[in-house]
Amino acid sequence: MRNWTAGRRQAIRAMAGFVAGSPLFGWQQDPFRDHSRVPKLEELLTGLDFEPVAYAKLPRWAYDYTAYGEGSEFTLRRNRQAFDWVRLVPGAAGSGQEPQTATTILGTPAAFPILVSPTAAHMQLHPDGEPATYQGATAASQTPMIVSNVASVPFEKIAPAAKGPLWFQLYPRQDVESNRELLDRVQAAGARAVVVTVDQQASVYERALHDRNLEAASLRRLTGGTRGAPRNPYRVPEGRLWYEWKLFDQLRPMIKVPMVAKGILTPEDALLCLEHGVDAIYVSNHGGRSLDYGPSSLEVLPEIVDAVRGRVPVLFDSGVRRGSDVLKALALGASAVCLGRIPRWGLAAYGVPGVQKILEIVQTEFKQAMAATGRSTLASIDRSLVRTDFP
Amino acid sequence: MRRREALFLAAAGPTIARSQQLAGEPPGRIPPAAEIINASEMEAIARRRLDSAAYTAIADTGADRAAFDRITLRPRLMVSATNLDLGANLFGQPLFAPILAGPAGGQNRFHPEGELAMARGASKAKAVLIVSERSSVPLEKIAAESPGFWYQVFPEAGTTRAKIDLAVKAGCKAVCLTAGAGGTLHWAAIEGMRKDLAVPLLLKGVMSPDDARAAADHGLQGIVVSSYRGVPVPGMASPIETLPAIAEAAGSRLAVLIDGGFRRGSDVLKAIALGARAVIVTRPALWGLAAYGAAGVQQVLELLQSELARDMAMCGKPNLAAIDRATVRLHRR
Ligand SMILES: Cc1cc2nc3c(=O)[nH]c(=O)nc-3n(C[C@H](O)[C@H](O)[C@H](O)COP(=O)(O)O)c2cc1C
Repeated sequence: MRNWTAGRRQAIRAMAGFVAGSPLFGWQQDPFRDHSRVPKLEELLTGLDFEPVAYAKLPRWAYDYTAYGEGSEFTLRRNRQAFDWVRLVPGAAGSGQEPQTATTILGTPAAFPILVSPTAAHMQLHPDGEPATYQGATAASQTPMIVSNVASVPFEKIAPAAKGPLWFQLYPRQDVESNRELLDRVQAAGARAVVVTVDQQASVYERALHDRNLEAASLRRLTGGTRGAPRNPYRVPEGRLWYEWKLFDQLRPMIKVPMVAKGILTPEDALLCLEHGVDAIYVSNHGGRSLDYGPSSLEVLPEIVDAVRGRVPVLFDSGVRRGSDVLKALALGASAVCLGRIPRWGLAAYGVPGVQKILEIVQTEFKQAMAATGRSTLASIDRSLVRTDFP
Repeated sequence: MRRREALFLAAAGPTIARSQQLAGEPPGRIPPAAEIINASEMEAIARRRLDSAAYTAIADTGADRAAFDRITLRPRLMVSATNLDLGANLFGQPLFAPILAGPAGGQNRFHPEGELAMARGASKAKAVLIVSERSSVPLEKIAAESPGFWYQVFPEAGTTRAKIDLAVKAGCKAVCLTAGAGGTLHWAAIEGMRKDLAVPLLLKGVMSPDDARAAADHGLQGIVVSSYRGVPVPGMASPIETLPAIAEAAGSRLAVLIDGGFRRGSDVLKAIALGARAVIVTRPALWGLAAYGAAGVQQVLELLQSELARDMAMCGKPNLAAIDRATVRLHRR
């Protein structure tokens, strides 16, 4: 099984993809947008293979926006390292049965315990934006998609594009009542759950500042980095400093569908979520984009699962790239796993078919990993499947 | 190398130089100080400005990074931070934030205005400056720019107390005595320096709980956990690693400060969580000085303050008193 550390074959293929997309062979062309050869979709074998193609196709600022992690990117790197600290223990030779992967997550049926994480502004990646992501996700066995509050396209315009299940992700506004109208609209348009993202209270997108000569101005607006002068003397963006636990109590009556808290990384906060009417805990460090030097999501998953004691489902994301990663997170107690950058790479590289293909790769890998470890049902996936060595 | 870096490296290759116009800073451009986004970027600018001898004197060693990498922060959510307050108090002196600019001799090596620009920048950032006895600018001039300054001396038979008295006369608020290189501490001599001193005396260079206890026993008011002159010894523990045991030994008898490799607000937060009252940054301030003079010093200190404030907010600790041991987790590797 290959992992994040590049093997020779992987490096060659990644390099080939990159070179094919580089301006080396196309001096007359726009070096980032046009190029003479993009590998065919069939040539890509793992989710990781999509990143260089996305890189070659995107303007630098758009690639950076997807790739970046907060601060020194310690947590971004740790998200991947963490999967190396969890080893799958080969089980008794499989029963030979086809692994059963279908499940229901907060009432939403899913062919795999895999969802699309909410991520911002898909039009940066592809002119068709979120409707394309949604079509790709639906084509990949109706993978549920969580639509970001800062999508390029409004929820109601995405919803008609395909048939798979949709959830909505909310960045709450301080005037709590002012969230009601939006929540009403997305629920009317079919959102089957609402994910309230509560991390990133004071994150800034350093790279947007760094790439000040690039077309990052719109991004800066998007991430709130320079929105108005902060009132505090420490130049901390004010937008989200007001978050308080009572927010969930206030939002609860506005949300008729399950309410999920996203960004939880400690057992203490998981328990507080339960006290405030949350229906599921979403363990996430925002793909390493919230607190630099925070933990990887994976290393804190077990202690959160232990604290929650099965009372509500625990969703998980940050750093998942392979089907085996999904299996590891499930073994440590996640009910389902979400993918942030993976579908973004698929969309940027190949549009709808790219999203479909990259999700199918992860799904297939997941099934194969189940088979290889002798687990034919989701219920049989437990901690005995892994040996952990967190530092 | 990281995957992303590899991609960038490839992109920066000479074969595709044409695309460079699309990527980041044009080579050689020195952006305005206010556009610098973190300490390491400040170092990069300092490096462009200095000749190699001067740069080598303040180049980052990176030696303490691994120790900081073995400490993670524990984010706690949904704690309002609208009243963020980084204010601290040391020996009755109010601090805007628990970050001081550290002592370094001969700063005219890095900027023509030397310590004067350093003092101006630090005071613009509302940070206390610790002035080295080996300053290239007379103390009175520095005092005028940075009134709340501290003074740092090396113990030398006979002369030290006289220097301290001059500094006190110039208005210094505290004195750091830098423990000699490897030599044993002469507690009797230290007591002599402390005697009838109107300002607190701190011992800088403490790396063991025993020395911390001795410092308290001999009546010092504070210590700075620090490897000698910030030069890390390979194989020796970093200051941040020795901090918990030293803070425990010090108890409430000493104010414990620390320096050594602090480059990010998160580093400062970790030190506070492990028992430090404040942190001293020296190289980053010098990078700011070399890069932009006073404006660079101000920028780099304000960046650290801002990072600390943001990290505190994200750990649910809107003020220093709220920061506790549970804010961090220590790792074996
Ligand atoms: C480019 C990008 C934009 C994102 N935008 C949002 C967002 O709008 N709302 C949100 O809750 N999370 C957002 N996230 C975080 C993702 O939901 C998810 O937590 C993260 O991407 C998972 O890590 P992974 O990318 O390693 O899979 C974003 C992540 C990325 C990479």
